[in-house]
This record gives sequence, C-alpha cells and structure tokens, in this order.
Amino acid sequence: MHTKQVSLGDRYAEIAVIVVTMIALVIGWFYKSSIENASLPFSADGITAQAPKGWLQTQPNGDELFRAIDINSTGFGTTYSISKLTIAEDVPALEVASIVALNHAQDLLAFRVLNQQEVQVYGRTAYELEYVFVESNPDLTHSEFPKVVRGIDYIFVENGQAFVVSYQADENNYDDDLNRFLLFLRSINF
Amino acid sequence: MSENEARLHERKHFWRDELLLILSMVIFVVVVYALDNALQPVFTPTTLLLAGVLLAIIPAGIWLVFFNLQDRAEPEPKGYVLAIFGLGALLAAAIGIPVVESLFRVSHWIHTSTVATILGGILVVGFTQEFLKYAAVRYSIYHTDEFDEPTDGVIYATAAGLGYATVLNIQFVVANGGVDLGAGVIRMAVVALAQATFSGITGYFLGRAKFESEPIWWMPLGITLAAVFNGLFNWLQGIVIRPTVTLSGASNNAWLGLVLATLIALLTTGLLLWLVRRNIKHLQTQA
Repeated sequence: MHTKQVSLGDRYAEIAVIVVTMIALVIGWFYKSSIENASLPFSADGITAQAPKGWLQTQPNGDELFRAIDINSTGFGTTYSISKLTIAEDVPALEVASIVALNHAQDLLAFRVLNQQEVQVYGRTAYELEYVFVESNPDLTHSEFPKVVRGIDYIFVENGQAFVVSYQADENNYDDDLNRFLLFLRSINF
Repeated sequence: MSENEARLHERKHFWRDELLLILSMVIFVVVVYALDNALQPVFTPTTLLLAGVLLAIIPAGIWLVFFNLQDRAEPEPKGYVLAIFGLGALLAAAIGIPVVESLFRVSHWIHTSTVATILGGILVVGFTQEFLKYAAVRYSIYHTDEFDEPTDGVIYATAAGLGYATVLNIQFVVANGGVDLGAGVIRMAVVALAQATFSGITGYFLGRAKFESEPIWWMPLGITLAAVFNGLFNWLQGIVIRPTVTLSGASNNAWLGLVLATLIALLTTGLLLWLVRRNIKHLQTQA
C-alpha cells in the first residue's frame, strides 16, 4: 500500500473538518448546559429558589415545601426537596440532623449515614448529612432490582426554624448530578 | 488499469449490492420477526444476550457477504474493507459512545423538547458519529493507492458506518441484558441502515475531494450534511415509532421506523448513485 503526499489544500480541508466539528460540539455543550441549568423561580413560605425547569414538581406535603424529580434520569429519579421544620430556639443543628436521620431511617429501606459534619454553604453555616438507602418499588409486578440511592441533606437552623435541603440520586448519577444541585442550593434564599 | 481509467470506473456491482443490502435487511427483519412469533423461543439471560449480540452482527455480515460476492467481479482489497469496518467499530466503542453517553450525557436532556432532540441530534450525536466515520476513512485508506476511484469513498465510508452501527447495536443489547427479538431486530436493522446511509454521504464527499480540486469548505459541508441528516432522521424516527395509545390498548409502531429507514436508505443511495455517475461522466469528459 503506497501512501501519497498530502497536498496543502488537503491539509487545510482536514483542519477545516476538525474545526467545524469542534465548533459544533462546543455549541452542543453550551446548549446541553443551557437545558440542564434552565430554571424556574419558586417561592413558598418565605423561601425562594430557582427550581430546575422540566422536572416533575409534586404538591407540598406536610413539612415538605418543595419536591422536584428529574424524570429523564436513569434508575432512581434525581430528586431535590426543601422541608421546613419548626424547632425550639436553642436546638442545635446537630440535634436536628439526628431527628432528620431518624425520620429517614423510618421511611427509607436500608438507610445508612455515611458522613455528617458542620460545613459552610455559600456563607451560611449548615449541617451536612450524607447517606445511602435502597429504593424499592412497592409494586410487586415491578420486576427490576431495587436501586441504591445516595443522598445529602443540608440543614440550616435559623430563628427557631430548620430548613432541610435534600439531594437524592441513583448511585450511578450522584456525582454527575451533584454540580447541578449545588447551583440549586446556591439559589435558595430564606 | 491506469490511474485515470481506474477513477472513471463506475463499479455497477457495488450499487446493485447496496440495493440488495437494503432489501436483505428488510427480509432479515421479517424472517426473524416471523420466527420469533411462530416459535416463541424461551431464553435464559445468557442465551438472550448471545442471541441479541448475534442479531447485532448480522446486518454488517450481510453487507460483507454481498461485498465479497461482488468483489470477484471488481477486485477491492477485502482486508482493507474489513479493517475500515473494524476501525469504525473501534472508534465507536473507544470515542463515540463515551463522548455521547458519558461526556454529553445525551439521554438526560435530548428528549426534553423537539428543539433539543433536533439540535442535540445534529450538534452532538450527528457530528460525533459522522466525524468518527469520516476519520476512519480519511486517516487510513484515503491517502493510499487503494482509494483509486470516487465510488471507493462510499464503499469505505459504508464499511466504517456498519462497524459503527454494529457497536451501537451490541452496546444496546448489553446495556439492556438482551433484547426482545422481534422489536430488537427492527431496531438493529434501522440503526445499520441509517449509519450506512449517512456515512455514504460523507463517502461521496470524500470521493470527490480525492479526485477533484474541491474548495476548502467541501469536506466540512459533507460532514455537516451527514450530521444534519443523522439528527433529523433520529428526530423523525422518534415521532414515527412513538407508541399509539387508544382506549382499546397501545400499539407498537416500530415497523414504521423500519419503513422510514428503508425509504431514506433507498432515496439516499439513489441520489448518491446519480451524483457519482454524474461525477464520473464529468471526469470522463475532462479526460
């Protein structure tokens, strides 16, 4: 097999194809980001946030003010939620975290706390509770393996009220979807 | 045969085999679908996976058999065609699928709206796939003596496209732990026809670029056209195969997808044949 000398015109054409492809992919990346980061304003009970656009939002229930689920995510649908708990003035965040963890342990299958610590979240002090559980569909006709879900709660305690901002995602999507959640967390005002 | 004579050669068998490939794909789907319905085979998870992988390989196998048959009349190095097929498959597995699925996470956002389906299908899926199939030909056989006539662009690009399609189909089977034979075989034929057809467009542009003095925008135009057709086809395919739900139940429209893919493959092959013939006549006049 003989290889011929590549002409200058050929070389330019080759570069032009690479440039056009790169431009298309860069535009595609910005377009993807614009869809993933698109948001809608949300406001309830003194809390405002930029909720993800195109996600399924459910009606507030009990302490929960906001719940949005990404119906396009694979496995367990990535979920953001905000809850508001009324507490006594002097209850520390650590204690609220224990109550939240106990509630999770009652509601979620095979719940385990992975890590908990006090952190600074965009200038506010919060308590971070990292955990894992198994999502099991109660529908007996649903013939698929239960999914392992990772979650993280940020608990903010202010003036006798605790705000719990939660992120739960399939273990396979958790790391990839975390940055999007941090944008949501940043947008929350209370 | 001198270089000039070689490039004026029309390779009629190749075009006949392209049409036979499309027809065979439809027959292949009908036969597997009918056998699946008549025999209703029971599979273990392993045999289901193996059956799926086998089905994924068959479309490319059919094309290679036809190519081998026609090759007796018009010799083309089989080894190179197989190598380009393998290169297309390798690029799909090593770059194409990771870029589309892991880097761009296309399945997370491409179905959020019609515009997202079309733009994502063109800018991300289309350009990634078409560039890699182009690269499989351009950076291997293109600058060699074996690429000696305009039709070679279509032949080698089709081989790269079928390699790419085979990996896409195997990945689909493995990711789902096997496929329902009836629905799966339709999907595999559609993917194979679509990938071969769109890379045929790139192949035509490659053939012209090699033997005529084309402007700098010629090849980028070819890739862009192939990517646009790729994206538009996937969008149209999504509309056509969307299940219909009525009070009497839901119906699967996968067959319509096959009809669409077959029509587009026939139209594109016809158009490419006409363009290549016109191109050869033009070269003959110049000679």
